[in-house]
Amino acid sequence: MDTLGLLLQGFDVALTPTNLFWALVGSTLGTAIGILPGIGPALTIALLLPVTVSVGPVSAFIMFAGVLYGAMYGGSTTSILINTPGEAGSMMTALEGNKMARAGRGAAALATAAIGSFVAGTLATLALTFAAPYIAELAFYFKPADYFALTILAFTSVAVVMGSSRVRGFIALFIGLAFGVMGIDTMTGQPRMTFGFADLLDGMELTVVLVSLFAVGEIIYVASRYRNQKDEIVSVKGGILMSKSDWKRSFMPWIRGTAIGFPMGALPGGGSEIPTMLSYTLEKNLSKHKEEFGKGAIEGVAGPEAANNAAAAGILVPLLTLGLPTSATAAILLAAFQNFGLQPGPFLFTSNPELVWGLIASLYIGNAMLLVLNLPLIGIWVKLLLIPKPQLYAGILVFAMIGIWGVSGSVFDLACMTLIGLMGYVMRVYDFPIPPLLIGLILGPMAENQLRTALAAGQGNPAVLVESPMSITFLAISFLFLFVPFLIRRLRAVA
Amino acid sequence: MPNKAASSSPTTPQPPAKPWWLGLVVVLMGAICLYAANELANTARYSAIGPGLFVTATGIGLILLGLLLLIQIARGEKFEPQDTENAEGDTPMDKRAFFIALAAALVPVFIIELLGLPITAMVSFTLVTLAFGSTQIVLNLLVGFILGSASWYLFSLLGLQLGDFIPLLGI
Repeated sequence: MDTLGLLLQGFDVALTPTNLFWALVGSTLGTAIGILPGIGPALTIALLLPVTVSVGPVSAFIMFAGVLYGAMYGGSTTSILINTPGEAGSMMTALEGNKMARAGRGAAALATAAIGSFVAGTLATLALTFAAPYIAELAFYFKPADYFALTILAFTSVAVVMGSSRVRGFIALFIGLAFGVMGIDTMTGQPRMTFGFADLLDGMELTVVLVSLFAVGEIIYVASRYRNQKDEIVSVKGGILMSKSDWKRSFMPWIRGTAIGFPMGALPGGGSEIPTMLSYTLEKNLSKHKEEFGKGAIEGVAGPEAANNAAAAGILVPLLTLGLPTSATAAILLAAFQNFGLQPGPFLFTSNPELVWGLIASLYIGNAMLLVLNLPLIGIWVKLLLIPKPQLYAGILVFAMIGIWGVSGSVFDLACMTLIGLMGYVMRVYDFPIPPLLIGLILGPMAENQLRTALAAGQGNPAVLVESPMSITFLAISFLFLFVPFLIRRLRAVA
Repeated sequence: MPNKAASSSPTTPQPPAKPWWLGLVVVLMGAICLYAANELANTARYSAIGPGLFVTATGIGLILLGLLLLIQIARGEKFEPQDTENAEGDTPMDKRAFFIALAAALVPVFIIELLGLPITAMVSFTLVTLAFGSTQIVLNLLVGFILGSASWYLFSLLGLQLGDFIPLLGI
């Protein structure tokens, strides 16, 4: 089969000593940042970007994929041992996993989370392997109007799904779009929204915005509301073996979790919160031990963990095949591709097959590495939690500063870092979601290019935007995303 | 590590003030976009699509959304600060910590070109620890300097242009 042949070639690339080394670095870093508060995979990849210029795109992306997967593994450790989910996708794991740990079953909780992550990651990567080439083939037929409609779908879904308010979600999106138009217009060479600053002629860097919002904004916010209490780390008793009953109870939740998480992660605005909650609800309904839910049911860890990891793999589908980021991490990965002068999408599969298939192959390897890193070495990872929080957050600011200063050497960018960091603080205080801003920034220019190309081809006639079935479908789904929740609320109020 | 005393919260709960300024800022952002779009030359247009199209659309969008937000604020929309690791949304804001953390981010703008990355890192590192309530200033200065110096060396080896160690002294 063609796909298998390409995958084998990918393993050829991924199994070189250099790339194995970078996979290990990425997986280790990813696990560490999954455990540590205040820093996530998106921020880590943004900070690593300047360093990877000398490394080469294949090795760089193999490392980034390791960070992405590793963070999922690491996040479950803190959820189980200290009841602090690092991100929305780990909330369900914290709910049941920490209860298991307190009941002396921490080892089984960690094992089911790690093995479930491995199973889900492997299955999801298999799905990616076989689905991606077909979706990429489909994308060859996309016209500019279709791509524009797809970006509208991405915008609408992330703005509606992420966060608690659609208005605030769209405000974040439009602020991102405004950042995206800053700089020289590629089609006419005119400077736009630069306000006389020469530093803005190159536009607003995604790295600067992401680092400022995630690192600086987070630090100012946490400092101003710091809850200084010692994390109570539940000690892990017993071995890391799961009993026969644990295996039996975890197996189907792993499979079901993967089946829920992967397609949802692949959808624009899918995220990891919804699939993990769906998985938890499903497992609770299907379980023969319903009474254990809320007190430490192993299915309540197995299913959501698998869903979380599968969703992480899912984000790579639209990113690699269509160049469409559906989360903050995917947005920074897209920026990383652009940094290397690459544009993910159908052409990447034909122009750089060794990169795409090497990356996919390394996901299998990375998964295996992470299982080894996480299970037996859990005692070492837990020691990271002993780093005092003031010094930890201070260290994050230092790395943020290096990340921005190292890229441009510009004091202007450091000033932007402070201003945008302050904006990130305000966004957290008033509950504005941040991912739509990043998606607006990275996808806005692409959306504009496709719109102007489509309109130019149609002699300025806007009807060209709704000519093909594909663009009509995408726009119709966007419309549904926007108005169906509103209609449902109205119907409920009437009922 | 010495604990930071939590800020005392008011004994009588006050209804939160309506953040009108938030809606006004969004409207202002939209107005700035429209102003910038208007400044663009009309010469570079073909088929009535120019560089100002998207800028105008963004501006209009922000103004409309800003007005919607103002309406929501008038109707008493609740704004719940986000919960995150090590911080709870319902904790009152500690203004001192806020300004010190902000200063930590701002200080590099003024000193990095003269004093270089390691010293700037030392100062910012110490300010953040201070914001989080650490009083071990000497230790934090030392840790910050070591972290800044080690990072400067390591990342310079990896190809990043981080400037001189202390530019003012030519080192």
